[in-house]
Amino acid sequence: MSDGRRSAFADRLRRLSNSIARTGRIARWEVTASAGTVDRKTAVALVVLVLAAGTAGVSVSDEGLGLEREIYVVGVAEESQYHDVAVEAEQFRPVPLEDVVAESGGGNADTIALREDANVDVVVTRDGRIAHDGPNGAAAYDEFRSAVETYNANLMDRESDQAAAYPVLVSLEYQDRDLGGTTADGTRDDGGGTADESSDGGDGTTDGGTDSDGDEPATGGGGGGDDGGDDRLQVPNVGGSGASSAPGTPGSIAPPFPFDSLVLAFLFVVPMNFVIQAYGSTIMDERLNRRGELLLVSPASSREIVAGKTLPYLLGLVGIVVAIAVGIGGSPLAVAAALPIALLFLAASFTGAMFARSFKELTFVTVTISVFLTTYTFIPAIFTDVNPIALISPLTLIVMDLQDESVRLGEYLFSTGPFYLSAAVLFLLGVGVYREEDMFAQKPIPAKVLDAVANRLRGRRSIALLSILFIPFVFAGQLLSVALLFAVPEVVAVPAVVVAAAAIEELAKSVGVYAGFARSRFDATAKTAVVLGAFSGAGFFLGEKVTHVVQFVGLPDLLIGTAAFGPAVSSDPLLLAVVFLAPLGLHVVTAIPSAVGASRGRTGYAVGFLAATLVHVAYNLGVLTLVS
Amino acid sequence: MAILEVDDLRKEYGGFTAVEGSSFEIERGEVFGVVGPNGAGKTTTLKMLAGLIEPTDGTAVVAGHTPGEREMQRRLGFLPEESPLYEEMTAVGYLEFFADLYDVPADVATERINDSLDRLDLEHRDRRIGNMSKGMQRKVAIARALVNDPDVLIFDEPASGLDPLTTNYIIEFTRELSDEGKTIVFSAHNLFHVESICDRLIIMNDGRIVARGTLEAIREAHGGTEYHVYATADGSDGLTDADSPIEVTEENGQVRHVVPDMDAVEAVREAVEAADGRVTDIQTKTPTLEEIFLEVASEPEETET
Repeated sequence: MSDGRRSAFADRLRRLSNSIARTGRIARWEVTASAGTVDRKTAVALVVLVLAAGTAGVSVSDEGLGLEREIYVVGVAEESQYHDVAVEAEQFRPVPLEDVVAESGGGNADTIALREDANVDVVVTRDGRIAHDGPNGAAAYDEFRSAVETYNANLMDRESDQAAAYPVLVSLEYQDRDLGGTTADGTRDDGGGTADESSDGGDGTTDGGTDSDGDEPATGGGGGGDDGGDDRLQVPNVGGSGASSAPGTPGSIAPPFPFDSLVLAFLFVVPMNFVIQAYGSTIMDERLNRRGELLLVSPASSREIVAGKTLPYLLGLVGIVVAIAVGIGGSPLAVAAALPIALLFLAASFTGAMFARSFKELTFVTVTISVFLTTYTFIPAIFTDVNPIALISPLTLIVMDLQDESVRLGEYLFSTGPFYLSAAVLFLLGVGVYREEDMFAQKPIPAKVLDAVANRLRGRRSIALLSILFIPFVFAGQLLSVALLFAVPEVVAVPAVVVAAAAIEELAKSVGVYAGFARSRFDATAKTAVVLGAFSGAGFFLGEKVTHVVQFVGLPDLLIGTAAFGPAVSSDPLLLAVVFLAPLGLHVVTAIPSAVGASRGRTGYAVGFLAATLVHVAYNLGVLTLVS
Repeated sequence: MAILEVDDLRKEYGGFTAVEGSSFEIERGEVFGVVGPNGAGKTTTLKMLAGLIEPTDGTAVVAGHTPGEREMQRRLGFLPEESPLYEEMTAVGYLEFFADLYDVPADVATERINDSLDRLDLEHRDRRIGNMSKGMQRKVAIARALVNDPDVLIFDEPASGLDPLTTNYIIEFTRELSDEGKTIVFSAHNLFHVESICDRLIIMNDGRIVARGTLEAIREAHGGTEYHVYATADGSDGLTDADSPIEVTEENGQVRHVVPDMDAVEAVREAVEAADGRVTDIQTKTPTLEEIFLEVASEPEETET
């Protein structure tokens, strides 16, 4: 390395080091300044509150809410078989029988005499009679009966000989049948082996594990039965996972989605909603009354200021996420999946706070962000066990992690990539307007958005870069439209997704061009518009190829997925050419009318955008027809 | 040697031109005034010099650097019109934070902060800024502008909205800074302050510079000193064209002759006496900056001085 290069490298390193130091100072100051807004008493109260919530959270995760713990008192002798019921059921607190009954022996007559000072809801006598007393007695009695049933069911579940625990009674009824195998009542017997066909009939025995039409044992889809190939009778299990559940009871029915893991995964998102309120406020504080002006005139750059102000909130969220992961037994994967969600929450709040004109508007913005991102992350995760579409949310990765399922790198990238990229682009746009001329100007949000986009334009070629930068939003928007329309019949969903996908892409391609013309970054001539449209379309084409990551999870196998993202890559050269080259033509061709319209003003842009979308929709329909 | 050079600086917002082709130079150690009515482009000009606003066209060089460059920011102290301080911090905490941001070593910062606050006579330094009076807050803001020991100070309306006592204190402090060799760009609505401390100034109107130079030069260009000669008789008939008064009016039974210099005063006296009258009073009239300002604010063209 030459001296000049070494010197330049050292200089760059020194500047980077200084930049990090300044960012750290601003972060430290942000903590100090924020702490200054909270008095000591409130700070202590907050710490106590957080500790209490943390303890409660861990406790709930470990033992459940315990809202019904020991709400009833049951008088029962220790040697009674019902004593274990009272001990196991959390609603009951057993007390010695002799402490509550007046007579020794617990009463042998029809009535049971209680002591005057006895505070008891249910009494179990030594001879097994159960009685209740007091205003809660009736409810306690019902609850105790249920507890007894549950206790018995659990005992049955633990029984090694399940055939003995759940004996199956079979009634045999012989019917005449013809040579074709049709029984008298019209059903067809394929010889599945209901009765032992090897027997000569009439011996009344059955071979275990088959139902009346000879299929596998009815397991209710849960897989809880032992199908290891032995001859034991399989235990029917509704819902699947509840090994301790009594079969067939409502409590044993599990929903068709991983409810427990989903709720625990949701815990990661909850604190993010609170942290962004504080973060949005601190950014807004800089903008109101021009408080941030003096930082702007200091040697710290906008990037350093924003990084410094963001760092404490990001680190705080990372701490919370790690604590939750530890609390609920998640692995580092859960943290790695939650991190991009936290980043996007912060990035969206930052950009929202840069666009809002007042705290009132900021409240609207942050609530919108909260609702949208919470919905975007939570709803798809419901389908974790159902469909790969669930992977559009990193929360799904957390659910998978909590269910001890492995996650492939491709799945992780597919799930978190749009979040990381969207967060990066949002910060980029926000930092672009973190300057005197924009951050203190009172403009409507759409105008601020255009300012933010226009500030990133550096010549015509930057239009192509901007189109690439918008790809994460396109990806997220299209995935969201797929997710929202997932449950809708395909006859409606597919056309809707086709239109939505086209409109989203055309918007992403044209908004930069429109911002450029609206903010006088370019000469409003048709020639310029055509060039910009071509750059935008080509840039978008390049970026769009990134979305082929969806093939990691096979989403295009769904017709609805194809509608949004196009067909999967084929080995057919013709189809390959269509997949890779036709979009280039499409994007350039459709970007040009939008660009020409944008050069004519708002109405012209609307007309151009509409025309571009229509052409795009026609193309998408053509692709669908080709694929199907 | 000019420490600040501005060449054809221009700022447009959409179709609106806030500053139109400003050019001027400021010498090291000079106190340079920027005056003009609201919307004249003063603050925009100052913010372009501070690197807060990017010019649409033209150049500015401050202490050898382009505004916005990190090195330039280090050598600049900027006091905006308002005092946008972090009210939840104490005065000392706030100043220490900015000193840290300007890479001022902690011991130097402590010394400098204490010195500034002593000179500004600021008490209750550990009080939260939000609990301070407006005057105290302004002093903290001035101390912040000095925390990096800048070569160039830009003071935009430093005494705006303050009581006369605090205002005088701040003006005196500004004068002291000037005496110490700081270059100060000073903008104020109160023209008396500008008149009292500025070595040179520009007057802006509608985004353009309409007058510039020393106060004397500007006065000269806008009429300069006038002499009002009051007499019992009109002496103008006996004067030659060269000595003719600028204006002759009758006031309270006396004739007022307005003349430009002492030679003309003498000529008027002789003419009055020749007309059997006598001179009763002679007054010197110097136009205030305010009068000049009002005059030039209504004139679109710049007055060369």
